[in-house]
Amino acid sequence: MHEMGIARSILDIAIAASEREGAQRITRINVVAGELRGIVPLQLTFYFGIIAENTIASRAHLYLDITPLRGRCRECGETFIVEDYRYICPKCQSEDIQTVGGTELRVRDIEVE
Amino acid sequence: MKISVMTDILEANDRIAAANRGVFDKHRNLVINLMSSPGSGKTTLLERTAEALRGKLRLGVIAGDIETTRDAERLERYQLPVVQLTTGTACHLDANMIASALPHLDLSQIDILVIENVGNLVCPAEFKVGEDFKVMILSVTEGDEKPLKYPLMFRESALLLINKIDLLRYTNFNLNEAKANARRINPNLEIIDISCTTGQGIENWISWLSQHYQSKFGNLKRA
Repeated sequence: MHEMGIARSILDIAIAASEREGAQRITRINVVAGELRGIVPLQLTFYFGIIAENTIASRAHLYLDITPLRGRCRECGETFIVEDYRYICPKCQSEDIQTVGGTELRVRDIEVE
Repeated sequence: MKISVMTDILEANDRIAAANRGVFDKHRNLVINLMSSPGSGKTTLLERTAEALRGKLRLGVIAGDIETTRDAERLERYQLPVVQLTTGTACHLDANMIASALPHLDLSQIDILVIENVGNLVCPAEFKVGEDFKVMILSVTEGDEKPLKYPLMFRESALLLINKIDLLRYTNFNLNEAKANARRINPNLEIIDISCTTGQGIENWISWLSQHYQSKFGNLKRA
């Protein structure tokens, strides 16, 4: 259900960015969402469609780029995709892993007319 | 035309959370964002906490509840400053809701402010409210696989309280497995076993709070 609040923020950010450029209509919004954020894409696009009605984003397509959880080994520097939350370095088996991707949640860019 | 935006989606919330944090710091409040499933024992933990802190540190509570004021009514018996936010159908508290509660609390009379979030293992983890620490409760009746199902909350929390530990032998909850799962998600997570019914482990929770209050504000006496 946090998708509703997130949809609202995406809409606000996209409208503010397009108004700065004097655009008439938003056609596409590209969002980057890390795997750890647990966003349900179908819910997000559903809520977005409802709240975008009667705005300059009413016909915008919302695209989600879900980025995988990525870790970096503090021992050997190896960067790898963390599968099934196993924070273990595939190269040296260290468990001292820093999360370096998969937590982001941002509007990357928008396309406007 | 393509416009590069690169704006954090929760930026508006995080900005208000930072402002809340400034208000809390000014009033010397250690602020805990307490999260868990419904029925895991948040309100009962606060009752035990109120009893244990009496005469030491002054507790205040902002309680989020979907429709009722039952949580606040339970806590008012302990003569605590309590603000109830009835959240309607909202599934979490956000920074703006907390900001709206602040005028109803005398923060100068509070040392430890607990924000009791809405019972939910998903949504509350996304929204900062101005807390120093996120603390979550997992009760043994919920299952030891929860960290892998709800990773963000375990990742974001500084402390995990495993509650209803007195019921452990009546369940198939594997305590070691639960802790291993939680630490897979968050290797720095501190874990304390507690029972709000028998009082087991409550003193460890109280000393965790006191230590963090002390390390934030230097001593237990107010300036």
